[in-house]
Amino acid sequence: MTVAAASSSDGTGLARPAAQAAVLARYDELGTLLAGMDDRPRADPGLSAEAAPVLLHEARLLDAGRFEDWLAGWTDDAVLWLPLSAPAHPGTDQSLLLDDNRRLAERVEWRRDPSAWGQHPPSRTTRVVGSIEAWPAPGGGLVTRSTLLVDEFRHGRHQALAGYQIHELVGGDLERRTKILVMPALGTGVRNPSFLL
Amino acid sequence: MTTVSFDPASADFGQLVQPHRVHRRIYTDPQIFDLEMTRVFAASWCYVGHESEIPEAGDYRATTLGRRPVLMTRDRDGSVNVLLNRCTHRGTVLAVEAGGCAKRFVCPYHGWTFAPDGQLLAIPFPADHPVEDYSTLSLGRLATASYRGFVFATLNADPEPLECWLGEARDAFDTIVDRHPGGSIAVMGSPQLLEFVGNWKLSWDNAADGLHATFAHESYNTLGEKVDTETVLARDPGSTPMVSKALRNGHMVVDQRPGIPQGPWETMRKVPFREPMEYALVNAGHAGLLNLATGSMVNLSLFPNLLFVGNQLLVIEPVAVDRTRLQLWLTSAPDAPGEIDLLRLRVDEDFVNFGTPDDLDMFERVQRGLSIPEMEWIDMSRGLPDGSVDGDGSTIYGPITSEAPQRRYLAHYTTLMTTPAVTRAR
Repeated sequence: MTVAAASSSDGTGLARPAAQAAVLARYDELGTLLAGMDDRPRADPGLSAEAAPVLLHEARLLDAGRFEDWLAGWTDDAVLWLPLSAPAHPGTDQSLLLDDNRRLAERVEWRRDPSAWGQHPPSRTTRVVGSIEAWPAPGGGLVTRSTLLVDEFRHGRHQALAGYQIHELVGGDLERRTKILVMPALGTGVRNPSFLL
Repeated sequence: MTTVSFDPASADFGQLVQPHRVHRRIYTDPQIFDLEMTRVFAASWCYVGHESEIPEAGDYRATTLGRRPVLMTRDRDGSVNVLLNRCTHRGTVLAVEAGGCAKRFVCPYHGWTFAPDGQLLAIPFPADHPVEDYSTLSLGRLATASYRGFVFATLNADPEPLECWLGEARDAFDTIVDRHPGGSIAVMGSPQLLEFVGNWKLSWDNAADGLHATFAHESYNTLGEKVDTETVLARDPGSTPMVSKALRNGHMVVDQRPGIPQGPWETMRKVPFREPMEYALVNAGHAGLLNLATGSMVNLSLFPNLLFVGNQLLVIEPVAVDRTRLQLWLTSAPDAPGEIDLLRLRVDEDFVNFGTPDDLDMFERVQRGLSIPEMEWIDMSRGLPDGSVDGDGSTIYGPITSEAPQRRYLAHYTTLMTTPAVTRAR
């Protein structure tokens, strides 16, 4: 089911301006990308090799706390989405977060605010990226799927969360247009997950 | 029943919860925690789930009640049951998924089969089994009642009627439900589950705490200022006309509406994709409905396990004396324009990402501080003597900086702990 279809049948007769339709289409695009991931054919070896340094660089930036540099690697129409499970749809299911560019920037500001107690002192993280696969994206660029293990150490305790991430990387610099991070622990009980990006 | 060397019914338990201070032990003693699971959680009405989660016959959802695995089920005649999720043969937990649809529950261990109303339907090879009356082997049942579609259950052998137990809290409850078009509110599919290393009462101490917003949530208020938004938490708690109320049975209300005359939506930050949805509603003449996209600004806490915060239901699940799981459910407005729920999804994430982490950090810091045996007491005296009290003493009103709600729920807690009700499965 798509949100665009669902909300046009809600009987309110509301006009659907183009900007709103674009948001709903983006939500559907995210839901479809997530739902179809397991059915993809074997990845393209050349594209997978091309994607690897981009994904590893992102992991290194995040582990190093270089959030401003990380923020610079997103497109203007970027979306970072952390659903609570998969499959899911950003217009019908609760998520941990779905950030546009504005909230991504706020997130980086929040991480820098010394009164953001949930991340001060900050989590020390180690990301292990593996099983990198890539395919050509319909609009140019790449779609990748990779597994991710994040080990977090904070307040003398550590937790390790594993899952997978989907990236849509576009343009000559392979900027992030879409990132979906699926961490099954979010649906079973996790301590302060504010280190996840 | 747990056997303990510590006797909470003795006079010295009353010394742990005093009018102006509370002993650390009620947050750190595993024996007290074990007793709470029966004397508080089994003996009180507890929120289990919402009827909208199990619309069809056979639908069920699994949760816990004072750590007991329970099932909320819809049976063929449409009624809702809350059952102990335990086979009456060997004790196997029957349903291990969070929810689903099952015409019958078949125990995977030896094949005993139960109906959604808990009745034992079949035992394999019955000739070998001496039981003649299957009704003696039904699943354990809890007393179950609903208010406005919200399902509560209890193991109390003689519970007061749910509506009486809610008492004055019904006003706030009705306010939260009635603002939805058609009075129609539903609960979305899966919750977010957050855990903290701390006692479950820490989330309770926080629920009606109007002072912490200024300090613990400073970073959230700073984010709001950067986009010219005065968040609801940014009000000066010392001068705001917001009101906190301590109600009978430990229930609490923080009514923020008097402090935000411009309405809830104006206090909401610029969440992702807000503008297109907002414009669509305004253009269609539904600007007034935008307030539905954020919370009612009436925070209602129903002791011991349900908090209404924003458009979320926050269900407190005790795991261990120093471990708590929070279920965060998002409510929807089925009869409102679709934009409302689309906005709610993004609004919901805002505080969960930029406010809740700070609360979780405070809970864990407090639990760590309470581990110091030489420092025994927690101060709970702010706002004493308690302010205005209504005629029959059932409601204490105060400024949101008052700790009257905390004192009141802890007094009720002490009553439950020292005069235990009989609990049993039906």
